[in-house]
Amino acid sequence: MSRIPREYLVNRLITLVLTVLIAATLIWIIPRLSPVDPAEIALGRMAAGAGTVENADEILATLRAQMGIDQPLVVQYFKYIKGVLVFDFGLSTAAFPTPVSALIANALPWTIGLMLISLIITFIIGNLLGALMVWEKTPRLWKVAIPAAMVFTSIPPILSGLLLMWIFAAKLQWFPLTGAYGLTVEPGWTWAFVSSVLHHGFLPALSIVVVTFGFWALGMRGLMITVQGEDYTTLAKAKGLKPRYILYKYMIRNAILPQVTAFALKIGLLIAGQVLVERIFAYNGMGKLLYDAILDQDFPVIQGVSYVIILLTALSVFIVDLIYPFIDPRVRHEVA
Amino acid sequence: MADHVTDNAPMTRAEKRQARRLRRFENPWLNPKLMWGAGLLIGIVMLGLVGRMLWNLDLVFTGSSQLKLPPVGFENLRKQPGVWGTPLGTDGSGRDMLSLIIIGAPNSLFVGLLASLIGMSTGIFLGFTAGFVGGRTDDVIRVLSDVMITIPPLLILVVFQSSFGDVSLTMMALLIAGFVWQSPTRLIRAQVLSMKQSGYVQMARLSGASTGHIMFREMLPNLVPYLFGSFIANVTTSIVTAVGLEVLGLGPQRIPTLGRTIYEAINAGALIQNLWWWWGIPTLLLGVMFVGLLLINLGLDEVSNPRLRKLS
Amino acid sequence: MLDEHQTERPVLTLKDISIEFPTPRGVVHAVKHLDLTIHKGRRVGFIGESGSGKTTTALSVMQMLAEPGRVSTGSIDLGGTDILALDEEEMRKTRLSRVAYIPQGAMNSLNPIMRIEPQLWDAILAHEPGTSRSDLKARSDEALKSVGLPTHVGQLYPHELSGGMKQRVCIALGIILTPELIIADEPTSALDVVTQRQVMQTLKDIQERIGSGLILIGHDMGLMAQSVDELAVLKDGELVEHGTVQQIIEAPKHPYTQDLISSVPLVGGESFLNPERRAEAPKRASTEPLLRFDGVSKVYGSVTALHPLSFTLQGDKPQIISIVGQSGSGKSTMGSIMLGFNPPTTGQVLFEGRDLQRLSAVQSLEFRKNVQAVFQDPYACFNPFYRVNHALKFPFKQFGLSQGDAHTQKAMEEACVAVGLDPDLVLSRYPHQLSGGQRQRLIVARALMLSPKLLIADEPVSMVDASLRATILSNIYDLKDKYGISILYITHDLATAYHVSDYVMVLFKGHVVEAGPPKAVIGDPQHPYTRLLIDSIPWPDLKRSWGHGGEDWDPSKEEAEALSAGTVYRGDVEGFDLVKE
Repeated sequence: MSRIPREYLVNRLITLVLTVLIAATLIWIIPRLSPVDPAEIALGRMAAGAGTVENADEILATLRAQMGIDQPLVVQYFKYIKGVLVFDFGLSTAAFPTPVSALIANALPWTIGLMLISLIITFIIGNLLGALMVWEKTPRLWKVAIPAAMVFTSIPPILSGLLLMWIFAAKLQWFPLTGAYGLTVEPGWTWAFVSSVLHHGFLPALSIVVVTFGFWALGMRGLMITVQGEDYTTLAKAKGLKPRYILYKYMIRNAILPQVTAFALKIGLLIAGQVLVERIFAYNGMGKLLYDAILDQDFPVIQGVSYVIILLTALSVFIVDLIYPFIDPRVRHEVA
Repeated sequence: MADHVTDNAPMTRAEKRQARRLRRFENPWLNPKLMWGAGLLIGIVMLGLVGRMLWNLDLVFTGSSQLKLPPVGFENLRKQPGVWGTPLGTDGSGRDMLSLIIIGAPNSLFVGLLASLIGMSTGIFLGFTAGFVGGRTDDVIRVLSDVMITIPPLLILVVFQSSFGDVSLTMMALLIAGFVWQSPTRLIRAQVLSMKQSGYVQMARLSGASTGHIMFREMLPNLVPYLFGSFIANVTTSIVTAVGLEVLGLGPQRIPTLGRTIYEAINAGALIQNLWWWWGIPTLLLGVMFVGLLLINLGLDEVSNPRLRKLS
Repeated sequence: MLDEHQTERPVLTLKDISIEFPTPRGVVHAVKHLDLTIHKGRRVGFIGESGSGKTTTALSVMQMLAEPGRVSTGSIDLGGTDILALDEEEMRKTRLSRVAYIPQGAMNSLNPIMRIEPQLWDAILAHEPGTSRSDLKARSDEALKSVGLPTHVGQLYPHELSGGMKQRVCIALGIILTPELIIADEPTSALDVVTQRQVMQTLKDIQERIGSGLILIGHDMGLMAQSVDELAVLKDGELVEHGTVQQIIEAPKHPYTQDLISSVPLVGGESFLNPERRAEAPKRASTEPLLRFDGVSKVYGSVTALHPLSFTLQGDKPQIISIVGQSGSGKSTMGSIMLGFNPPTTGQVLFEGRDLQRLSAVQSLEFRKNVQAVFQDPYACFNPFYRVNHALKFPFKQFGLSQGDAHTQKAMEEACVAVGLDPDLVLSRYPHQLSGGQRQRLIVARALMLSPKLLIADEPVSMVDASLRATILSNIYDLKDKYGISILYITHDLATAYHVSDYVMVLFKGHVVEAGPPKAVIGDPQHPYTRLLIDSIPWPDLKRSWGHGGEDWDPSKEEAEALSAGTVYRGDVEGFDLVKE
């Protein structure tokens, strides 16, 4: 840590805190602007279950007290912020009385697992292909094939997910249609379970990779063209270095730097795209949790899931920012 | 060296670099990718316009035709053939697919364009303000756009729409616009800051130009390719967000949209029942829309960065 | 003609070399049938303007022509090896080990994310795989020492080095495998004259020590005269003259060579300006002096760019005041303060008695009309979106000088003619269609059209090709001479300042160190810093060796002396009054 300039670190921390705070506040304010009363929804659900409800007004008042929405707004807000800091989002109204945090704790590992794998694979493949589009020693076939593959990359992951699902799950039946693991396997560190997870995770991951690698490839292509014209690339060639060495150590190594920053900026969009993929594959992650909550009008869960995903995004951005000075020495020395 | 052909005056290194950078002015907008992309989008708009005139749109209502009919030339699992009354088939509640896309496809484009237009205008305003006013104002705008750019719009909008229930198309566009002003703001701010130091802006100041003249007459024309690129990227983001909301069952409930059609198809198990036209046709149309936008973006990239042109 | 070295085996033989670039608009012949032989230990200068083919020729020896360039005829023989017959891998091994290239843009020639040492090591390892770490370390340390750098530089990143240091690292890299031939492409073009002299000496020393041949590419006849044994003059891809530097400088045969030599202004030499025809300054309504600096200073953070300075320019008689200094001396800061672009930290700048920082909108327009500028970079001064006449037309209308479009057009055409441009050819073109020289002349024409009372010319010719510099300077000089405009000429070039100015101020680290009429200040410098600057100028004159220093010339002593010495005042001129501290 001592290598990172303090000013830089403080700056990034402020951004992190502000992001989380603004997001938490938005998530809190928006439902309160709405004419919909969550207590009435809960009452309606009860009524649907029990046929008729007596003493509707009393029950409403009790529900309001339970939800804490009978208190002044300022009090509610600070209670909420305090709760959010320790991941306390209250109780789910659909799966009453399960705490929202427990639901999230179950879903989160699936999302993070899928996300980490697909985001990292995409970043590596995309940048490598983008670099190869520019490199003068790339075989001609590749130079034609890569841009052709770009057509995929314009569509959002839900659409590619649908297509892949239809071809490989519904038609060919190579992969299961939905779910994160087979219904018949017991969760645990057994081969059957792990292979089932991998089998189920393949299509969702692929649908993300297929459509997002192009974003990185296109960005990398532009950067590589710039780097190719730089004087240090010319000198590297004049030094008689091997072409492959120049590609990795001189060209990609420099061109990747703005891509890392772009990664931090785009991470939010990428994660949101993944949430949708989870929804169509009915994958047991945050996306499905969110979708079910929307169907049930389960506000605490919607808020909790949104908050955790935004927090995740902000944290990833923060981590990328922390790593950045180590891959670009110029940033490290700028402030110090 | 190439410049030697046309120019007898000897060229310096800097001049050659400049000449390379500016060769885009020769014929920049007649780019095949740009044309194709624009063509695809215009096709979708035309589908909406011409379709409205030629097709009976009442078929979009539930139960107006038989359920789950396939497109003409295909058979569904119940061995029913497609009929010309509903040439692209019908969905699970008997709505005509052709009417659905005639109404739905331009809607998606409309949301994207409107959201992006508002986001862009905000971005131009904030970007120029930050670049010109500087100081505290600049700090606030910069930090705010840094913060907002990391928040995924989809999630905030999910919270919004699930608490408000039904929204109109315009309302959805406005909401999305609240999340697509950040990148144009950042882009314009950076460009304005670098242009402020450029020779021609200094020359304009020497010529007694007002701030307005410098912003709109000297800087803005040179920003056009960047603005266009950023605009198109935002249209894509906005449509992706809108479709995302619709696929989650949010967004406008009473107007047919492509995303909502997909939502209903998935919910009804269209994938297992092999009702491919139900989700496939809206997906295809969205695909065409996104390919069109991608092509425009690639074309614009080549317009503003001529070095890319050599490669393709 | 190249007698004593003829017997030795040549390092490089170029026979009938032609290089062409196929383009969509036809084949460009960059180099045409060039024959040249370079002998062991000889230094050969390639001189010519940009586009003359000098860099292209050198790059063909490395087989590194930019796509789609190719050698279409002839042969290249490097110490017995036919370069053009080598395959890619053989050529890769030849680069650096037998022929090294020191690039022009030393500022950006090092990989920014790698420390210096690994950049030296990977070069060795590419040619001698398996070299041990201790061996690598020993060799890189030795290479750094040989170019006068401390070995700890190896641990630094490029952005932590100064321009001169980076250029030395590039030289160290070039000689680390003791090649037979070194190609140095304008190795000092981005450096100050003082650093330029040091770096050139390092390069010459080390080349002599390893006994390789050297090709020095450049456009500065003075630098060539001080650095090389033989000169090859190139023009439009043809070798127009080749001989020893003595032959070329004392008896140039080709008219182009004669031009190149005569276009270099010399201190004390013949003036390149037109005979004087003194014009009167425009009648001024104000009795206040045209421009006054009153205790003006500028501080950026912890750096003082300009120490408090006071002077008065009366402006009743047109004058050219030169402000001379190296980069970082504060001269450009002074320029932007005068233009009101940059508020001073202390003090006031008064134009006709009014503080620049407190002008009303009307006064501000009046000030802009009366104070114009010519900037260093003629490429950036035109908005690429508009035709070039926009830059002339807009201010003319803005300042209310125009009496209708026909009048504006006539004024533009007259101004173009006055600076030697054909209005029909230039005015309706886009900036990128014009050469740098044409653009800079248009900027001068613009100033002429607006007929300001004061013109600030900030390095107006440093980015223009050498042969055009004299012309543009005489255009600017005419502004004073024929049109009565006072001029502040900001430059690093003492020779031109000597010729054009009425008064010279030498700036060093934000202080005026020597000031007075040019014949005194530049013709007979007294302050150690002025002397250092003048010693560092490479003269195209073989009798005048590069300053009085020897091989181990070290300017740091003189710089230290300069820091402690006080300002030397060398006399006054009427109409300009520098306040003595």
